[in-house]
This record gives sequence, structure tokens and C-alpha cells, in this order.
Amino acid sequence: MTRLIRSSTVNWAFGYVLLGIAALAVFAVPLWYAWSVTIFEGRQEVLRDDAQRLTELFNREGVAGLTAYINARVGMQIAFERTLLLTDAAHHRLAGNLDAWPTGIPDRPGMNAVMIDLAGRPTHTLLVQTSLPGGYQLLVGRDSSLFLPLEQRFAWGLGGAVTFLFVFGMAGAIFIRRGLLARVVGIRQAVSAIMQGDLRQRLPTARSGDEIDTLSQTLNGMLDHMEHLIRGISNVSNSIAHDLRTPLAELRSRLEELSLTRPAAAETFTEIEGAVADVDRVMSIFNALLRLSEIDTGARRSGFVQVDAARVAAEVVEFYEPAAEQKGVAFTFQADGVAAVAGDPVLLAQALSNLIDNSLKCVPSRGSISVEVGRRTDGSVEIAVADNGPGIAAVDRPKATERFFRGDASRGTPGVGLGLSIVEAVARLHGGVLQLLDNHPGLRAQMVLPVTDGRSSR
Amino acid sequence: MKVLIVEDNERVARFITNGLRESGHTVEHAANGRDGLFLATSEPYDVIVMDRMLPGNIDGLGIIEALRKAGSRTPILILSALDAVDERIKGLRAGGDDYLTKPFAFGELLARVDALARRGQGGDAGERILQVGDLRMDLLSRRVTRASRTINLQPREFKLLEYLMRHANQVVTRTMLLEAVWDYNFDPQTNVVDVHISKLRQKIELDSERPLVRTVRNAGYMMCAHD
Repeated sequence: MTRLIRSSTVNWAFGYVLLGIAALAVFAVPLWYAWSVTIFEGRQEVLRDDAQRLTELFNREGVAGLTAYINARVGMQIAFERTLLLTDAAHHRLAGNLDAWPTGIPDRPGMNAVMIDLAGRPTHTLLVQTSLPGGYQLLVGRDSSLFLPLEQRFAWGLGGAVTFLFVFGMAGAIFIRRGLLARVVGIRQAVSAIMQGDLRQRLPTARSGDEIDTLSQTLNGMLDHMEHLIRGISNVSNSIAHDLRTPLAELRSRLEELSLTRPAAAETFTEIEGAVADVDRVMSIFNALLRLSEIDTGARRSGFVQVDAARVAAEVVEFYEPAAEQKGVAFTFQADGVAAVAGDPVLLAQALSNLIDNSLKCVPSRGSISVEVGRRTDGSVEIAVADNGPGIAAVDRPKATERFFRGDASRGTPGVGLGLSIVEAVARLHGGVLQLLDNHPGLRAQMVLPVTDGRSSR
Repeated sequence: MKVLIVEDNERVARFITNGLRESGHTVEHAANGRDGLFLATSEPYDVIVMDRMLPGNIDGLGIIEALRKAGSRTPILILSALDAVDERIKGLRAGGDDYLTKPFAFGELLARVDALARRGQGGDAGERILQVGDLRMDLLSRRVTRASRTINLQPREFKLLEYLMRHANQVVTRTMLLEAVWDYNFDPQTNVVDVHISKLRQKIELDSERPLVRTVRNAGYMMCAHD
């Protein structure tokens, strides 16, 4: 029960029920007031008219006429439909369905609401008292309780509405809370499993698309990203172990051999230059790895600006044009209009540069490379580099973006096997993907970047 | 030229000191932040080479900020093992003029120190005409001529040539060119810069003309009027 009271859902629901009741009251009170005023005035009007008619009859036909009329009317009507009493100046009854002049009404003409005894039953009655010529007194009245059943029904209706509102409001709140609680418990269980190291756990989603679902999906996206990062870190550790050891081992043996054999000066210098080149190779691996981790942490996103991908591409293409020309490669660039994305222009340039670099290394002389930038039908921006080189075998394609992966075609060419990893990381940083497709023959590597305001993809 | 080196690693400091002395510079060395700040404020230098991580209460950036606050305008080259872009920005924002990541090739350091020293000496930003030998560049009309021959250049080639001419008689490295001409701070694996230079050479050095751009082994390029 305390859990119920602590539940914010129930508190809110209670608040809303009270609000609903207040709204009902705001609706009912003026209506009630207007209704009673109208009815009351209507009744007064009727009684006054009646008294007026009787007075005229008295004036025309005198006491006898009026007495006869009243007697006839009392005899005809339903019991106490109208209360009538004609008395002389001393309040002695002459005619009517009241036995005596009622007590408690002031001794002057006018309208009075009093309690009188009607057939032994105290009744709310509205009385009009009229003084007739000759000191005769006339009372015309009506039982007010005739409208009581209507008023009671109104009260019942109002009460029913309030009860309905309260019962269903609170029941709904408890119901919603139950459902919510069940889902929160599911989320909590998943999160504690993740905290205990099971990175594959994901929050349950119901595909209902409501707020909690959206939240869970966003959190799952975050978890995917975290899992990827953690995998990346362990991959890097493995890669460092494997791929940095090789050049370091080479370097070490080169230096050790040098110190052991002490060759002639000329040869020594050649070896030293070779050693420097080994170190540079290690450094370039380091730099690429650092660049990768810098991209992967998303730190670069703070530097996002509106970039025209077509312009960035045009500059990179211009940068590589002489190199392509020198190799005798047909190098074409195609862009249709502005391709605005939120991004880091330098990283986009680097990614595209890596792709072009790869193609330049792979294509045979007289081959062709084409760079295309355009908008897809869904508005996303596609930056593609297509060549007619050896391409990547279909089985290798999923592995191609893994760190330090080098396909058969690239063995023997310079490079450390991090180029495509960087391109993929850049695409991912921009909320997009890197796709490697068959260009029949060759490779078509394309980055597909969604059009974002730079925030929604976080 | 007089250069101050603030660097705590002895081996690196000796490497830089010897190298700069061999290239004809006068070099002084401080091994910690306190000495570095003392020397930098008490004597005039043409360039200061500043390591970021230093022992002695004040680090490289702290010294730079203190110097700049004191009104010093000596060009400062920051040396750092921190390579991330925001570290670079932090260094430049503190008042550094250039940023070089460790480890570096000595040629790269020397070229950058020379470029900074030159910048500190002459405010040549307002120049209209650049001239190296018989090669003339008019920055306003964007006309390039060699002797009486007009040379047509693409905008990027113009920028490349302008940079080389502004740094005439100095070594400029490929990285410096990449940063200054293309604004790229990554290292393209192909020798793209070399290809650009050789294309530019074909335009400014006809067979009958004296070469202007020299390749400096293990370092980069140098533009000069005489061999």
C-alpha cells in the first residue's frame, strides 16, 4: 500500500481525478442555480396570475361567487395541486382546502414560502396572500416539493459522475502503474545484468513505440555503441600485440645485429635509416590508432559544423588529381549540387582521402576511379569512390573494416590496414555507414550519411 | 638565431640542441618549468621550443600563458606527445604559435623553428610583391611571372607557390605544406604533396631555366634563387 502511495502515477491520477471533480462542479453549480431561479420565478408567476384571476372573479361576483368557484375548483382538482383559502377579515374560513389560517405568515399581502400542514403532513409551500375588498383574505399556494424528485435525480446524476470519475481514474492509475512497474523491473534487470558484465543484454522493447519504448530503443542504441567501443578496445589491445610487435621485432633485430656485427660506416648508416623507417612505421600505426580512438569516443562531434560534402570532396579530388594523372588513372568527379551534412570537414576529407588512396594503390595503370557525391531519395548524402581494381572478395568484405585487416589484393602495398577502419569510424561518427559493394569489376566504397542537425544522431 | 629549449627529457633536449647548433643557431636549454620561465622572461629569444609536460610546478602551457600575459611576443613551438585535435587547439589557444607532436623528425622541427623565427622578424603580411630570383608574384593582381614569361597557375598551385616563396631559403616540410595549403592535418599515405610540387615545378621551371625548388632529403623542399 505504501508503494501505491509513493507511486507518482497514482499521485498524478489522484490529482487528475480531483481536477475532474472540480470541472464537474464548475459545470453543475451555475446550472443548478439557473435552474432553481427559473423554476422559482415561474412558480411565483403562476401563483400571482391565479390570485389575480380570483380577485377579478371576486370583484365581479362577490363573496358568494368566489366561494362557489373555490369550492368547485377544490372538488375538481387533484389533492393539493393548488392550495386555496378564502377567509373573512378575522381569518375565519369561508372556502378552500385549508382548515384554518396557517400560522407563521405575516399579516400583509405578498409572497411567502412557509411550512404548513397539508393533510397532516408538513409541506414546503409557496403562498400568495391577497387582501380583497371588504377585509376578505385570499391565499393561493402551491406545494414546492413537487419538483423534489427532479432535484434528487440531478443530485444522483452528479454523485454518480463523481464516483465514476474517481473509481475509474484510480483504477486506471493502478493499472497503468502495474504495467509501468513491470517494464521498469524488466529494464532494471537488464541493466544489472549489463553492469555485471553481460554486454550483450539489451533492454526489453515492446514495439509499441511509446515513450518508454523509444527510450529503451535509444538506450539499446547506446549499449550497441558501448559494446562496439569495448570490443574496439580489446581489438586494439590484440592488434597492438600482433601488429606492433612485428615492426618492433624487426627494429630490434636490426639494431642488435648492428651492435653485434659492427659493419662498415656506409652499411651502418643504411641500417640506421632502415631503423628510422621502422620507427616511422610504428608511429604511423600509433597515429592511426589514436586517430581511430579519438573518432570513436565521439569527441570530434563537438566540432561539427554544416559542411557541403560535395565541396569537401571536390577539394580532396583536386588534391589527388595530379597523383592519379601521374599513375595514368582516369579520375572523375561528379556531384549534383550542394550536399549539406552536419560534420567535421577535416575528418570527412580524411575518410575520402583514405578511400581514394586505397583505390589509387589498387587500380592498375590506365584504370579508372570515380568519386561521386549525391543525395539519395531519402535525403541522405552518399559519398562514393568506385574503381575498377581487383576489389574485395565477397567473403572478405565484412572483415575489411576490421582493424589491421589486409585483403589479398593489398598485401605487398604500403599501408597498415587501418584506412577503412578510419573511414568506417568517420561514417559512424556522422551517424552513417560505410558500404562496400561490388563494382563489377572493382570496389565501390560509399559512405552514406544521414541529414541531421548534428544533435539527433547522438 | 637564439633559441630556448624547455625540455625535461635529456636525450630529446640534446638531440634538438645539437641539431639546432649544427644548423647555426645559438641554443639555451632549461630542464624544468621554473628555469624555463626564468630564462624566457630574462633574455630575448627568437624562438622558444616548449615541451608541454614539465617537472617543477609549472607546465609548458602555464609558461606560455605567463609569457603572453607579460606581453612577450616571442614565437613559441609547442612539443607534445598529446596529438588529439583538442589538445592541439588548447596549445594554440594558450598562446603557442605552432604545435609539433612527438616523436618528430629533426628536419620537421628545424623547418618549423626557422619558419617561426622568420615570422618573428619581419611582418611581411602586408607585402604586395613576392620575389625569388627572377620569379615574381603579384599578390593583388595574382599574376606570376618568371623573367618576362607569364605563368598560369590554378588557385591551389598559386597558394602552394605563395607559401614556398614566403618561406624562401627555408626548408618547408610536407606536413607544413599540407597544413598551410590544404588545411589537412592528416597524413595521406601516397606522396601526393610531391606530385603537386613536381607539377608546380614543370610550370615554373622550364628546361632552360634555373631550378628554384630544391628537394631536401629527409625533410621537404626549399625554394631559393641560387644553388
